[in-house]
Amino acid sequence: MISAQAITKIFNQGRPNEFRALRGVTLDIRLKETTILKGPSGSGKTTLLGILGCMARPTSGRVFLREREITSLPERFLAGIRRQSFGFIFQQFNLIKGLSALENVMAPAYPLGETHGELKKRALSVLEMFDLGHKGEAKVEWLSGGEAQRVAIARAMINDPGIIIADEPTAHLDARLSLEFMEIMRRLKEQGRTLILASHDPLVYDSELADRVFELRNGELDTTREPHAPGKEPAEAVEPA
Amino acid sequence: MILHPGILSLTINSLLTLATVLYAGWFGVGILRRWDLASGSELQLALERRTYLISTVVTYFLFFQLTSLFLFVRTADSICDLFVGAMCAVGTLTVNSFGFPTLFLKLLNFILAGLWLIVNHADSKGYDYPLIRVKYLFLIVLAPLILTETLLQTLFFLRLTPDIITSCCGSLFSPASRGVVNEIVNAPPLPTLALFYGVASITLVTGLRVLRTGRGGGLFGAVTLLFFLVSLVALISVISLYIYRMPSHHCPLCILDPEYDYIGYPIYLSLFASTVAGLGVGVLSRYRGVESLFEALPLLTRRLAAMAVGGQIVFLLLCSGPVLLGSFTLRPA
Repeated sequence: MISAQAITKIFNQGRPNEFRALRGVTLDIRLKETTILKGPSGSGKTTLLGILGCMARPTSGRVFLREREITSLPERFLAGIRRQSFGFIFQQFNLIKGLSALENVMAPAYPLGETHGELKKRALSVLEMFDLGHKGEAKVEWLSGGEAQRVAIARAMINDPGIIIADEPTAHLDARLSLEFMEIMRRLKEQGRTLILASHDPLVYDSELADRVFELRNGELDTTREPHAPGKEPAEAVEPA
Repeated sequence: MILHPGILSLTINSLLTLATVLYAGWFGVGILRRWDLASGSELQLALERRTYLISTVVTYFLFFQLTSLFLFVRTADSICDLFVGAMCAVGTLTVNSFGFPTLFLKLLNFILAGLWLIVNHADSKGYDYPLIRVKYLFLIVLAPLILTETLLQTLFFLRLTPDIITSCCGSLFSPASRGVVNEIVNAPPLPTLALFYGVASITLVTGLRVLRTGRGGGLFGAVTLLFFLVSLVALISVISLYIYRMPSHHCPLCILDPEYDYIGYPIYLSLFASTVAGLGVGVLSRYRGVESLFEALPLLTRRLAAMAVGGQIVFLLLCSGPVLLGSFTLRPA
């Protein structure tokens, strides 16, 4: 279980351009399930993903990963958890230009101290899982959109994380590539991985892959609706007695 | 004030260190009053973020604090020509009444700063800031000492007037000197040497026990402190005589001069560094029961014990060389 407790995130606090991205968000994400964070642009999905994935710290509130509190951890411990537990797929892929596909996939594993030869072999095998073995030496700027996306997924998988976090993964993809992405996600879920996807694409949040959908609006969880599975109308939340 | 590069460097860096430590001490008061890891409040998270930055900055400045002891003595030594009667750093330090108090405080702060760095390093090994209150309390104690040291050092430098007539080390550390110095200088050589090697043996044995079993850290810390004090006495009262090959020259700072191949630097560096490491073993032994340090602390303690024992052996070899191998003897002909 990943549990977020009363998460608030304020950017530029105390300045004229202060922005409250999250306002006391509390939610539980079950492991080995697919959780979708749904909401319009600016609703706080990306900020929440960053905090859940230990890439950012909240202004207040706590996050628990398998009952271990992780927001208070010093950076050196947080980096270890981030590296071992999470794989990130970014909206713009964030591949490093000038490096080959293989070097991009290897990058997150460098701090682990594995020998270069072993790491290269492992990265190639991950690329081959996504039918990209022949593109390993190609610079990432030469790749098509679909290939770049699969390299980004391969990079997220290099440390064999249990949790995959994807931020608007289909925002820049056409329908065919979006379906291809969802198919890859389905395979990863079958392997027992936890998927957390932020999206306002119906193809994602209405997918059969989704187990729970949380709706965010203006930095708050929409508590008027229970988290629901796709295809079913969300039930109205029961007011506490 | 004399515009010497060493004086300017020491003054500027002491002021920067002081500003940093005072700010960190003030921040530490907030930590002691409001730190609550169980809370997810905005204040608590802000403290967590800031302690990481503040500890890092303080670490760099306290490293300078360690080096400033040697720079201070080196500077005092290099400007002794300006003062009539001064032969080495001791002459400069006696130009006014702030020299030796500054040196003693620098020595005390060297040890305390070293211990803080060890405690801070141990704290960074735990995932839940296990020693955060200890290290900030320590810093709150250290801050006024560094403030006093900076004030004394500034007064010392400001009141350094060239051509002033001062005392040389020969008169200050002579059998006719007064107070504690007299007691040290006139300590009987052979019993002092016996005490020195006796305490050294006990220190090494307890240190090796920590290295082998990981236990006895508190005892090793206490014995290290005793060894440090006995070593300083032995250096002044008897070992210096063998280094200078003179039966009545007891100056603890002339050994830093080129005439003696700068032997004083490795001697003092090995003694001070091993003392800090040994005391660090003693301090950390109090926190063996901290859950988040179960894995890291035994390894860190043993490394520190190895550093302490290694430093003590180097110190003993450097001191024993002139005593055992030199042509000079204190035995009557």
